[in-house]
Amino acid sequence: MGKVTYDAIVVGGGIAGCEAALNIANNDFNVLLIEKDLSVGGKMILLSKVFPTLDCSACITTPKISEMARHPNITIFTGSELQKVSKYGDNLFEVSIVKNPRYVNIEDCTGCQLCEQACPVTVPDQYQLDMVGRKAAYIPFSIANPRVAAIDIDNCTLCGACEKVCPTKCIDFTQEKEEWIIHVKTVILATGFNLFNPEMIPRYGFGLYKNVVTSMQMERQLAPTRPFHTVLRPGDGKVPDRIAYILCTGSRDASVGNTMCSQICCMYSIKQAQLLMGALPMADVTIYYIDIRAFGKGFNEFYEQALGMGVNFVKGKIGKISEKKNGDLVLRYEDVCSGKLQEAEHDMVVLSVGVVANQDAQKYFTDLTLKKDRHHFVQQVDPLLNPSKTSIEGVFVAGSVSGPMDIPDSILSAGAASVEAINHIIQFS
Amino acid sequence: MKKKIGVYICHCGGNISDYVDVEKVYAEVRNEKGVALAKITMFACADANQKEMEADIPEKDLDGVVVASCSPQLHLTTFRAVVERAGLNKYDYVHANIREQGSWAHSDNKSGATENAIHVVKAAIAKVRNAESLEPIKISSVKAVAVIGAGVSGMRSAIALAKAGCKVYIIERDHFVGGRVAQWENLFSTNETGEEIIKRLYNDTINNDNITLYTGAQVLSQSGNIGSYRLKVQINPGFVRNSVYSYEMDEAISVCPIKIPDLFNFGFTQRKAIYRNHSGQLPIMAVIDDENCTRCGDCEKVCKDIDFSQQKKEINIEVGSVLVASGFDTYTPKNNEFGYCVIDNVITLPQLKRLVAMSDRHLEYKGNRIKNIAYIYCVGSRQLDGENKYCSRYCCTAAIHTATEIRRKYKEINNYHFTRGVRTYGKQEIYYSEALKMGDVFMQSFDNELPEVLQKGNKTFVKIKDILTEQKELKLQADLVVLVTSMVPRDGISVNDLFKLPKGRDGFLKEIHLKLRPVETVIDGITIAGCCQGPMNLTESVNSALSAATKSYSYVSKGELELEPIIAKVDKEACTWCDACFKACPFDAIIKVEEGFKVFARVSDSICKGCGMCLPVCPKDAIELNSYTNREIEEMIDMLASD
Amino acid sequence: MNEFGRKQAKILVFSTEKISDPAIDMAGLLKQYYPAGVYVISLPCSSAVKPRWILHAYEKGFDGVFIAADGSDCPHDESCTEKTGRIVMQTHEKMKEMNLDPARLRMAAICSVCSEAFVKQMKSFNDYLGNES
Repeated sequence: MGKVTYDAIVVGGGIAGCEAALNIANNDFNVLLIEKDLSVGGKMILLSKVFPTLDCSACITTPKISEMARHPNITIFTGSELQKVSKYGDNLFEVSIVKNPRYVNIEDCTGCQLCEQACPVTVPDQYQLDMVGRKAAYIPFSIANPRVAAIDIDNCTLCGACEKVCPTKCIDFTQEKEEWIIHVKTVILATGFNLFNPEMIPRYGFGLYKNVVTSMQMERQLAPTRPFHTVLRPGDGKVPDRIAYILCTGSRDASVGNTMCSQICCMYSIKQAQLLMGALPMADVTIYYIDIRAFGKGFNEFYEQALGMGVNFVKGKIGKISEKKNGDLVLRYEDVCSGKLQEAEHDMVVLSVGVVANQDAQKYFTDLTLKKDRHHFVQQVDPLLNPSKTSIEGVFVAGSVSGPMDIPDSILSAGAASVEAINHIIQFS
Repeated sequence: MKKKIGVYICHCGGNISDYVDVEKVYAEVRNEKGVALAKITMFACADANQKEMEADIPEKDLDGVVVASCSPQLHLTTFRAVVERAGLNKYDYVHANIREQGSWAHSDNKSGATENAIHVVKAAIAKVRNAESLEPIKISSVKAVAVIGAGVSGMRSAIALAKAGCKVYIIERDHFVGGRVAQWENLFSTNETGEEIIKRLYNDTINNDNITLYTGAQVLSQSGNIGSYRLKVQINPGFVRNSVYSYEMDEAISVCPIKIPDLFNFGFTQRKAIYRNHSGQLPIMAVIDDENCTRCGDCEKVCKDIDFSQQKKEINIEVGSVLVASGFDTYTPKNNEFGYCVIDNVITLPQLKRLVAMSDRHLEYKGNRIKNIAYIYCVGSRQLDGENKYCSRYCCTAAIHTATEIRRKYKEINNYHFTRGVRTYGKQEIYYSEALKMGDVFMQSFDNELPEVLQKGNKTFVKIKDILTEQKELKLQADLVVLVTSMVPRDGISVNDLFKLPKGRDGFLKEIHLKLRPVETVIDGITIAGCCQGPMNLTESVNSALSAATKSYSYVSKGELELEPIIAKVDKEACTWCDACFKACPFDAIIKVEEGFKVFARVSDSICKGCGMCLPVCPKDAIELNSYTNREIEEMIDMLASD
Repeated sequence: MNEFGRKQAKILVFSTEKISDPAIDMAGLLKQYYPAGVYVISLPCSSAVKPRWILHAYEKGFDGVFIAADGSDCPHDESCTEKTGRIVMQTHEKMKEMNLDPARLRMAAICSVCSEAFVKQMKSFNDYLGNES
């Protein structure tokens, strides 16, 4: 079953996990990186451009992940889930992993997409946030890594069309779950975060009003690998020209159980507003906010730039959204500057959804206790001097598994976890 | 001369193709001399395309490759690695920048942008046609790192490096370690004190055999390169023999006649020319401040541990990498900025923190008991007219945290916050909601209509047009006005100048790329950590410090590094030794060689840094720089000039 | 010719990889547009520019040559400013001998964040060269 000991396991193949794996491997230690999704790259690879420099996100992610994928000291398991981590002897961890069948041989698939064309089943494409369809035999997205096909067995009708057209005969319906037991010296948790589900705020009408979308759906519409060729509102395919952003959707809001600020939404909304003004020069973009948190290096300047470009900032809390017959939306809000209740009409509303904890990591540890903080993130037990340290010696956190972070902060956090892991490996070797 | 060149033109997902007609560029360059293959790609840097290039090279027997995409700062190394994996030499690759210097610079002029891109790609093809394969120069790398600054970032990164087996030299300008954090009491988010934090780090530092700590030290000069930097360090004496805490030393301090403002307490108190560490600073000892001591000798008379015979020392150290953690300064408000220096009871937040640290049962300032405190935010940050356009990131939370701590300590105090929108990002929001719950009052001014501090009689008022109460004009009488000041770059750091570390628009040290290489600088082997790079809170500084430690470690961990073979070479036949190049070289890399009757110059490979300063001074035009030969440059010019 | 019928000058910029290149990149990043007839060849240091390259550029049809000098930011040596100045001076002499307008060669220090300065330089140089021809 291949190699069963590694110096380090990195759980999660987003930007933080990727950075940590590279740092550790570049110093001649062996790393196993496992990713539950079909591609590494996490959320970042799906983004359009990134604040405050407007670099394209893919241009930063893809070279890093391809460097990782080629690295002689790194092994990657995609479509794999961690089951359990326990102590093994004094200085090792025993990790059990389930590798889910992809029904495609990764090594042989050339990514030619013939299976995709042949497949008769169409289902919503999760990588395009369900805005368009994909097949049951599919390549996750165009810049995925590995960029090879997978069969979505839950939706597959086993018609065999894909098998017939595959030029390399790499489709294999006999694949089964593989269980792996692996021993490692250190564990890096880089399982990232989840986005807030706006259905929890019924007065915004997400799921009910077609032209209310999440910021991640807008992000995909603006990305180079976007589902449509322009920005469209989902209700009727019209190009919107009065777009509203509602900040703090699911953040700073005790009524949904999240009192924390999500740290990224102000900036990504300002970025999307700038991109929208480029993509749709005639459109009005309004951002409804409580406070603008443009705190990082170059952020405030980026905010000023958006003001200069004519993005309309309104300090106000949204009470309720209602839908008109033509699909336009009426926002009722308290305008803080005048203290009055106001109404405004928009033809598309973007909910700037916040960050909530991904609690997967806690499930892995049953014999050991992985403490969490009051917001359900993995707790940093010594945040001032050892920010990547957790309640378990030898288990470290990288990136937003320990709290909301933007990309630069995630990368720095991964850099910190790397040297801590290296120190741990050296100490117990 | 390369004859089979592959050219890849990148859309960059619209970043290029929205403004540059990529198809037209393709059509124009595909038949250029030497081009065997031309392709258009959505993302040249994506793994799928990299694999395609790797397959194309052997299949089409390519001997040179050009990618036309973004700035080489981003992806030159990516594509060099691609051609290397396919068996070519990395100098068989040439990068054409058609994004930063093409599509983005000329988005206002699509046809111009396309025209520009065509010429730039043709020039790159010309360059690769003439490019020579070069082998890297291998050098050994000293497994040691110099850390500049013994604040939290410096000491924390030193400990990480030492644990990984590196020798570490910490060079601290002050006689004590601790930096800014030593000045602070309770810290968010754990309420540990600055003193506790510094003690933990100091103990780990001095108990690690791999770390040598030099206090009272500064770097005088540097030479060398990544792998082997040689630093000359001056160590200033403290003129005190043991680290002692004796009655005699107390006597010595009390008899010293010199009094100067104590900067540790931001001038609230005075100290003598001989003085002890403050609590929070370490080691525990007294030192004499050479600059202010008049050598009156009074202290010597009462204390036998005073030793004026101590001399400045110079030591030389050799390291493979330098980690700069030189910290920040706090902004000093201008004269009469919100009444500072003019109105008696206007102080800064760092001063307030010292005031609280030194106060006991009541908070008093200049003999008056304080009841109402007004905090004015964003002083020295987010300036509309001034130079500091940036947000200082830590101050909102720092002010709120300090304010709530004060209220816990002194129940009678009321806090009034004059903000420009509170930026307690992330989990720090909790401090904001706690302050609101405790009854702190928050107001917000418009960015172009800031609050005013006024004095009427012996009373001080703060006036604001408050966004949060329907723009009412509010006026508050304050016993103390606290200016929440920003972080600013620290002046007078010798290493910044010695290494010529580049600075960003905000004046802080600049990383290569916020996301790709966030702790590396353009000077090879020099990393930056903590607040010398920009405002950060403690956790963020430590993350950055440990990241820098990771990078510095990877420069030295293997004991060997490869250097770029971009060095000058002398045409021995043409050279007649006139010493012009010898004089021009800033690195002493030119050697005079005599072979029989022939005298000529030779370049020392490991010393030459490839600056090219020797090129234009040669009267015989006998020196060329690898990768920048006359032929390469002039053929590029030919292509750029062509119609 | 551009749409206004005025000639767009062709300008060759010698920039440096570590100092002025980032500034020129930043001009693009911030969409501070400058004339599309500007072409950049980057070198390790501005005091590496050979006068023969400059003259070659005029011979091949460039209207102007601009050296984006490292100035005091040079990572190699402080003498860079002076050395680059000398190159410009010597080339000016040669240009006079060859009956070329010396104003067609310009130099200015462009630091790593001088994107605005760079754009200003390019616009004014372009205007000058456009009016001359």
